[in-house]
Amino acid sequence: MNSQIKQRIESVISNLDQLPSIPTVATKIITMVNNPDVSFKIVAEEISKDQVITTNVLKLCNSAYFSCGKEITSIERAIITLGIKEVKDIVIIASTKTVLNKSILGYDLAKGDLWKHGIAVAVLSKKIALLKKRKDIADIAFTGGIIHDVGKTVIALYVQNTFNEILTLVDTEKITFNLAEKEIMGFDHQEVGEKILSKWNFPEVLKAIVMYHHNPDDAPDDFKKIVSVIHVANTLCLMAGIGIGNDGLYHELSSSALQQLNLNDSDIEMLYSDIPDIVDVSIQIA
Amino acid sequence: METLINVGVAKLEISSRPSLLRTILGSCIGICIYDRKKKIGGLAHILLPEKKDASQLEKYADSAIPLLFTKLQKKGCTKENMTAKIAGGASMFKFKSKVSLGKIGENNIKKTKEILEEIGVPLVAEDVGGNQGRVVNFFLEDGRVKIKAGGKEKVYYKI
Repeated sequence: MNSQIKQRIESVISNLDQLPSIPTVATKIITMVNNPDVSFKIVAEEISKDQVITTNVLKLCNSAYFSCGKEITSIERAIITLGIKEVKDIVIIASTKTVLNKSILGYDLAKGDLWKHGIAVAVLSKKIALLKKRKDIADIAFTGGIIHDVGKTVIALYVQNTFNEILTLVDTEKITFNLAEKEIMGFDHQEVGEKILSKWNFPEVLKAIVMYHHNPDDAPDDFKKIVSVIHVANTLCLMAGIGIGNDGLYHELSSSALQQLNLNDSDIEMLYSDIPDIVDVSIQIA
Repeated sequence: METLINVGVAKLEISSRPSLLRTILGSCIGICIYDRKKKIGGLAHILLPEKKDASQLEKYADSAIPLLFTKLQKKGCTKENMTAKIAGGASMFKFKSKVSLGKIGENNIKKTKEILEEIGVPLVAEDVGGNQGRVVNFFLEDGRVKIKAGGKEKVYYKI
């Protein structure tokens, strides 16, 4: 363990000012959408208060991935046409892009790599949820996919300083990269991500996704299924090289995650083989 | 000025000197074929070993490599002057499940080599297997391939 690095990370994550921020509208909308009785007018009003987000949301609503054909020119119309959960996902894309769409040096990710990876994982996660007839969790799977690696944006600097130690530990102890992160730095990118979501006041389910996407078996029972969705989607995207960094494939695919979702051999192969299409779709919204 | 051309998953690109073809690989394979006389080269980024649907020839080793070869021939490249270098085919570090995808890296490597041999383009360098992702830079100026993996770089010059 490198105690100096550990202390530095501790001081960063305990100081909210040092963690990335997103527009407040994102948290408000996530909370509102959780309430089944919320009126779409109030949600539309709330989004419309943020002019920048509104412009970007409307652009995304009319992208090939989200569009239903007719041009959408107002947030209210967007909610009526696409549904409130879909619009919430779009607000999350528009709100988190600044934080995620940058180069992540410590992980050797060029500008845009982490962002496009998140979008691809989001699209694939939603596809897995729908494949398993769980439309009810498809939007959370999508949001979780976008932000699952947010911790990397903060911890990357320290990974850069300790990369050789981390990789040596992976080699000698035969442990996964994120376990080695934790061993060397005292924290892994999942924990740091969870702290960022706490700052953003995001709900527990999203925190669980960020916290356990590499080890879904450790997730609280209530969230095991949804975490497994993101775990599988993330694994498949990394295998296809989407957003793969210097942590490579030093990760594991959990068999209990596959069991949780009842995904068999041919499901997994089909999903993997669809990745080129997932990437084509992701480019439309990234 | 060299032009950078990014080659996505299940995509195939051909260009000539002084372009640079780049791709990023996990379990996929990047097949770089170069004609040393014409200084023309192509890179195919395959996802899976064997073709299952006829619509996306670029996705599979057994259809993408012949396609790459034919396209190069159409540009005037000849088999005698062509050599191949391959990279990728990494595996998940721990694949606890028994699903067949655990062997995808290995199977991709095997099939790629088989097809290259069938076509008769000699394989002069390979950087395959392991658990690392790879960034492949294929310089059409001289056919060299630079591979960045786990923070380290290697250059393969043989053509």
